[in-house]
Amino acid sequence: MPFNRKAHKFSASIGTVEIGTGDKAIKLGGENVMPFYTFDGSMGDGPKVGVEITDLGLDAEPQGVKDYYAGCTSFADIAKKAEAMPGGDFVVLRLAGGDPNGANKSTEELVAIAKEVSDAISCPLVVEGSKNVEKDAELLPKVAQALEGKNVLLMSAKEENYKAIGAAAALAYNQKVGAESAVDINLAKQLNVVMTQLGVSAQSIVMNTGSAAAGYGFDYTISTFDRVRAAALGQDDKMLQMPIITPVASETWSVKESTAEESDAPEFWGPVEERGIAMEVETAVACLVSASDAVILKHPKSVATISEFIKSLM
Amino acid sequence: MAKFVTIGERIHCISPAIRAAFDNKQPEAILKRAKEQLDAGATYLDVNIGPAENNGPELMKWAVELIQGNFDNVPLALDTANKAAIEAGISVYNRSKGKPIVNSADAGDRMSNIDLAAANDAIVIALCSNGPIAADNDERMMHCQNMLEHGMELGMEATDLWFDPLFVVVKGMQDKQMEVLEAIKMFSDMGLNSTGGLSNNSNGMPKNIRPIMDSAMVAMAMMQGLTSAIVNPCDQRLMETIKSCDVLKGNTLYADSYLDL
Repeated sequence: MPFNRKAHKFSASIGTVEIGTGDKAIKLGGENVMPFYTFDGSMGDGPKVGVEITDLGLDAEPQGVKDYYAGCTSFADIAKKAEAMPGGDFVVLRLAGGDPNGANKSTEELVAIAKEVSDAISCPLVVEGSKNVEKDAELLPKVAQALEGKNVLLMSAKEENYKAIGAAAALAYNQKVGAESAVDINLAKQLNVVMTQLGVSAQSIVMNTGSAAAGYGFDYTISTFDRVRAAALGQDDKMLQMPIITPVASETWSVKESTAEESDAPEFWGPVEERGIAMEVETAVACLVSASDAVILKHPKSVATISEFIKSLM
Repeated sequence: MAKFVTIGERIHCISPAIRAAFDNKQPEAILKRAKEQLDAGATYLDVNIGPAENNGPELMKWAVELIQGNFDNVPLALDTANKAAIEAGISVYNRSKGKPIVNSADAGDRMSNIDLAAANDAIVIALCSNGPIAADNDERMMHCQNMLEHGMELGMEATDLWFDPLFVVVKGMQDKQMEVLEAIKMFSDMGLNSTGGLSNNSNGMPKNIRPIMDSAMVAMAMMQGLTSAIVNPCDQRLMETIKSCDVLKGNTLYADSYLDL
């Protein structure tokens, strides 16, 4: 019997969210098929790769990252270099130093860094907060205000602070907003519902439905992706048709596979930097083939590899 | 499983306001009821223009264009005994939000409405009756089989025939209620879609009782596999029950605000 190929088509599609301005603006989402099923339908403009930098400078970064940014003396320098990283589509500034339990930098200081970074680049910018819900509720609206007109994506609004961040980012300053839920599909949907009820349009929302390093509860991340996409495409669930962005570097570079020195690790593990890159690449690939419309990475080798991976499957 | 399809029944010429609106081609009352039903969560809207013997085709065209034009091509069920009117309505119907529904065919005199649906790539509501209410499920399923075979011979997808077991009134036919529910299970086991005028069951009951009975009926019918119903979507209790059953059946994903959607 001859093989009859049947396209796995959906009548629904993932929405499109544009970030950035001008020629370098990018569109996240837009697909109406399972990831990379380009033979069945459209993948939109395809998944995008973000290059992460932080307000904490380069001291704690892996050697390969330090080498890449060698000679940079300011956040503007680092930002320009991040923009130039081969394979990257956008820059992500993570304001990790805002965490009151960490460096506890002031909102003013962090906003100034965000402004410096934003002014230095012409590609789209994503600004991630400190992960502290109170601090982010104060910090991200100020960033939204300072970067008005740049069409940046602010991450993230959570259940506890979506009103402050959603209202400022999307409504007052016309930026895009990330809705973050930690591998809880019902909450992922609920956040999108309440944000749209607040008046934020669906075209201004990108989801972060949770992230983990491969091997660290990662199966929950993936099963959440699967269920989000099954509802979005299979059940035409409008409240789950937002594109998904997944921070990868911030998860994978802190696990022991990426940090244990060779002297402390089992013999067969090999050089620490190679392991870190492998963790970052493996995690990103698994996210991309499951649902992610954008991944956030930081090592130049990972960015180049993942970018090539996407191109070869599109 | 797909979400339960509600077909809003409130644009019906039995209502004096709607009758007058059709007679005088006055859009206001029709648009008002269309909006109320869509706001309340209806998927399809039924458009009953009555027998419309004089001006059926022209009237149905007017109604279809009026409602679809004002409400983003909302999908419609075209409800009249006048076949020419249904065909005329389909000729101006925009399919972007769903196929038109022919309401309705049966296994007797109105069998030819299946032909009409087949010729126009429409969905058809197929009443499992050849006139009187079927005496039992053997008879219901015989009508179902006959209509299914007829539709498929004409090249229809089986899922485009939505079988109606005919809901019967509790006050007078209480002993037949479980039989209707069992028929729905048989349709479902055959992979068929089903629908019906669910609120028939509560006919003649006090006004405050009807939403309760209708909600119980829809929950039991959805458990049996009912995929659609012709309802009053402005009945909040009924719509809340349908949305809750959709969650329990996995037809929609739960979120705390699911009743708002």
